[in-house]
Amino acid sequence: MSTLVLSRRAVTGWPWLLLAAIVVAAVAVPLGAGEQLADFSRALQPPSAAHPAGTDHFGYDLLIRTAQGLQISLLTAASCAVVATVLGALIGVGSALAGGWVDAAVMRVVDGVNALPHLVVGIVIAAMWRGEPLAIIASIGLTHWPAVARVVRAELLAVTDAGWVQTSRLAGASRWFIARHHLVPTVTGQAVVAMVMLLPHAVWHESTLSFLGVGLSPDRASLGTLLGQARGNILAGAWWTLVVPAGSLILTALSFAAAASETRRRSEPPSGRVW
Amino acid sequence: MVATERMDALTTEAPGWRRDRLRPAARLLGIRVLIAVPVTLAVSVGMFGVAALSPLDPLAAYLGDNYQFATQSQREAMRAAYDLDQPWWEAWWHWLTAALQGDLGWSSTQSLPVSTVLAERMPFTLGLSGTALLLGAVIALVLGCVAGMRGGTVDRLCNSFAVAFAAVPPFVMSLALVTVFAVGLRWFPTSGARPPGGDHTGAGLLTYSVLPLSALVVSQIPWLLLATRAAVLEARDSDAVRAVRARGVHGWPLLRAHIAPVSVLPTLALIGTRLPELIAGAAIVETVFGWPGVAAVLVDAAVALDFSLSAALTVGAALAVLLGSAFSDAAAVALDPRIGLRA
Amino acid sequence: MHLKTRPSAVRVALALLILGATIVGCSQSSSPRQSRDQITLAEAQELGSYSPFASYGELGVSPIYEGLLRPQADSDAEIPNLVPALAAAAPESIGPGRWRLQLREGVTFSDGSAFDSTDVVATYAALKDPAVASEIATNVAPITAVTADGPHAVIIDVDTETDPSPYLLTGIVPSEKVEQVPAADWALNVAPVGTGPYRLDSLRPDQAVMVAREDYWGEKPQVTRIVYTHTPDDNTRAQRIIAGEVDGASLPPRLIRSVQSGDVSTVAVKSADWRGVSFPAGQPFTADPQARLAMNLGVDRTAVIRDVLDGHGRPAYTPIGDVYGDAYNPDATFTFDATAAAAILDRAGWRPGSDGIREKDGARAEFELLYNASDTLRRDLSVAFASAMKPLGIQVDPRGSSWDEIDTRFDTSAVLLGGGSTPYSIDSQVYDTLHTRVPDSSPYSNPGNFTAPGLDELLERARQSPSGVDKDALYRDVQASYIAQPSNVFLAFLDHTYAYRNLGWKQTAPILEPHSHGVTWGPWWRLNAWTR
Repeated sequence: MSTLVLSRRAVTGWPWLLLAAIVVAAVAVPLGAGEQLADFSRALQPPSAAHPAGTDHFGYDLLIRTAQGLQISLLTAASCAVVATVLGALIGVGSALAGGWVDAAVMRVVDGVNALPHLVVGIVIAAMWRGEPLAIIASIGLTHWPAVARVVRAELLAVTDAGWVQTSRLAGASRWFIARHHLVPTVTGQAVVAMVMLLPHAVWHESTLSFLGVGLSPDRASLGTLLGQARGNILAGAWWTLVVPAGSLILTALSFAAAASETRRRSEPPSGRVW
Repeated sequence: MVATERMDALTTEAPGWRRDRLRPAARLLGIRVLIAVPVTLAVSVGMFGVAALSPLDPLAAYLGDNYQFATQSQREAMRAAYDLDQPWWEAWWHWLTAALQGDLGWSSTQSLPVSTVLAERMPFTLGLSGTALLLGAVIALVLGCVAGMRGGTVDRLCNSFAVAFAAVPPFVMSLALVTVFAVGLRWFPTSGARPPGGDHTGAGLLTYSVLPLSALVVSQIPWLLLATRAAVLEARDSDAVRAVRARGVHGWPLLRAHIAPVSVLPTLALIGTRLPELIAGAAIVETVFGWPGVAAVLVDAAVALDFSLSAALTVGAALAVLLGSAFSDAAAVALDPRIGLRA
Repeated sequence: MHLKTRPSAVRVALALLILGATIVGCSQSSSPRQSRDQITLAEAQELGSYSPFASYGELGVSPIYEGLLRPQADSDAEIPNLVPALAAAAPESIGPGRWRLQLREGVTFSDGSAFDSTDVVATYAALKDPAVASEIATNVAPITAVTADGPHAVIIDVDTETDPSPYLLTGIVPSEKVEQVPAADWALNVAPVGTGPYRLDSLRPDQAVMVAREDYWGEKPQVTRIVYTHTPDDNTRAQRIIAGEVDGASLPPRLIRSVQSGDVSTVAVKSADWRGVSFPAGQPFTADPQARLAMNLGVDRTAVIRDVLDGHGRPAYTPIGDVYGDAYNPDATFTFDATAAAAILDRAGWRPGSDGIREKDGARAEFELLYNASDTLRRDLSVAFASAMKPLGIQVDPRGSSWDEIDTRFDTSAVLLGGGSTPYSIDSQVYDTLHTRVPDSSPYSNPGNFTAPGLDELLERARQSPSGVDKDALYRDVQASYIAQPSNVFLAFLDHTYAYRNLGWKQTAPILEPHSHGVTWGPWWRLNAWTR
């Protein structure tokens, strides 16, 4: 029994380390490299000592370019996740507190929005504001808040009925006190979990939109634009233009997914019913 | 009812079963279909409203590069000629009334009536996506059952495979397939649905569909695999099944008679909720592989601001997803007595 | 009860394996032999819109339509001659700004109806009709009226002194097919009817087939069937031509090197299609003529053509290239000299600031460069231009956008523009681009509204004068005067690059191409003249 516990503790934590390494690389590498100038005369060179990952279509060093792309994709994805979480949390909390027919109506709306095909709506909205980063953030944020709203509302309803909250109320605590000390921590806990779980999905969405040409400007580096350009370069035999950005995208998504399930496992909230 | 009796009831067709399970399922379906109508209408209103807010000028889409060479007065004339200067609610109303009479408008990117575009391309999308869903479901269920029942290395392999491939976006998968199989090994063609100049043939379609089908199937498998495996594990560890195992039933008979009805069938029923992901996957795969389906045109229409086609496709997709999940939930209610969904 | 069964998973896996093997086996078999008289071309643009009012065949080059005149040349190194097609002879002048054109007799449209002057009159009336809102209406702007003179001749009224020939190239449609609705809604788009050697046999979103007509007035073509397959992705087209699935495709310049082989030849065709950067009037740096001169001197056009276009292009300093013969001024060039450019900027008061970017009186040498996001070549040229300007201390920020946003940003942003859609007349090639703006100008004609001293009058006089020695001299002066005080940075005249399989056909040599896309041009501009 004890060996099981020990081995479990040993392996937990690696997703966060990997994630931290990725984020540090995404920030540090472009910072260290400084401003890059395109030089078409050294475009599409295979990996070598001077350029460990080769060069891309514009002549940029691919390693630095991928790090820049990672940075932009992560930033955009983080903004999307924050927007979706804040929106979802507000609506979820509001709906739970309002109760009654307002709650039922809001839940219907949540179901409706949840049912929409996310990518289709995302493409349509992003295409209408061609390349505007705010539009991309809005299109992803506005289609992903329902999941957060549902989770937050369910949690809030469960906690409000919990034994200790009722005890608090009986003991004469004010509404504000209860809210601040019992409800808010639980809600934020769930919201954070939801946000972490949204991140890989947001990265996926942004890179898909950029790949299809409705995301960020094609001269900017983002994992999606890099892969969209790679689609052309692989036919010329430049396999590194696909492998390096795709590899970092998959690695990032995997780390996020692992970290997210870790967070969910660790922060399994109290069921709300002590007795 | 004791669990085993309940399961026996599921597997034998007692007349009471039909009435008990089908009525709530039908009721749920009915309610959801009714709800789908106003939601779809809301989606269409939202689309026109958002388009009105957008800074883009549909005239640019009509003219393409020639937008540059038109003078101001010509643009005004074109705007008037194409009815582009009416308020968005008017445009929506016209669209709705025409659509209800069967006229979905004219597609500027395809130079065809929207209904013709849909009619010509829908069979390709339904064929590819339907086959992908079916194949993916079969593979995922089989693997999920094997993983859940056997455990050990097989289970770990399936698990890691599912988790790894869940992290790969469909467009990366498609690019990788093109690089390896079409460009590298030259086993399969890179795009299209028929050899240029030829007609659509059965054998041709089969060859051309291998790569897009593989990309779509691989994108569908992970979730279904994990869900099936989890359901099978949960069923296997449940008291009822433990009792059956204690009686000496193992392997295939155990799976077929006792585990599958409570795990596999309900998971299968939830396939309908995978429609949004399937549509997204189809849009990407059809674009990369040039498959002449409806999802590929969705991207083109959105980018080119072909509003009639874009509106028809978005509203259609929303409707399909709503109905799909409605059928799916109804099927789940009909199949699994433990699910108590009301609406 | 002990049931003897094999695990179902293995059974399913076996079935899948067999299925897979069958499919791979099927794909190995050779593709069916195509007819010897058929050509399959991969088209990047959407199929359909086969109407002159949608700019298909606007210069008289298409398998389906013919214009009154058509271009004819033996190579792409010169402006083509305009020879009669549906006209019986060249236009004859019958008064100031008035010309008479005799029409060919015995010509029928592909739907059987006869061709006569009413069709010509109807076509030109529709071109200028605001209800039709044709996007090529500006192509025939100098023509004020076309009237019938009997069933086999037309009278053309023009508002300039020059030969109207360059404006008589548009494909003619039957008068019965002319509609009073916007051009995109016409039935002609999907059911074209023209007098050309081919007619449309079938049209689907991914494939269009044209077949040779039996009742064509000229010689029946030896290429009897043309198949266009819609392949929007550059790399898929390249792959298809390598694999032998198509016989021809247009490809970006940097891609044709990877398709060249024993079976596949490539060709780069000269064009008057230029790319350049226009500047905003509202930005203090670009509004300074010295700054614009410095930017022209600071970009190495040869390197841009070598690296971005893979050598397929010629430097452009003005909109007039060497194909215009005597009208071309060989001294009107900018020699790449970064030091001289820096010196000019220093003298003009633009000194490097703390971050290396030049500034003067609080204004910075920094601006945005917008390009059409879906065009990879424009994107690459924008990035290359920005990289060339950075060492000079000029900060250029490229950004992908769409035409209607660019429309509203001309006051504040530079734009990567292209031009040369009607190059067969030097007047239409040059006037709108270099002249100062008039109330009805397209927003894309000289967006910064910059000019040089005396340039406007020179342009007016050159446009009005008839072809000849004087006109050429005036255009040489136009170029000299532009070079002294440039309004834009013209970068290059593109070479359109194509790949084709060697099938044993004797092809017609390509001619000088306009700002065009796709496989209507290239080696296939005159498929009906191909012989074995």
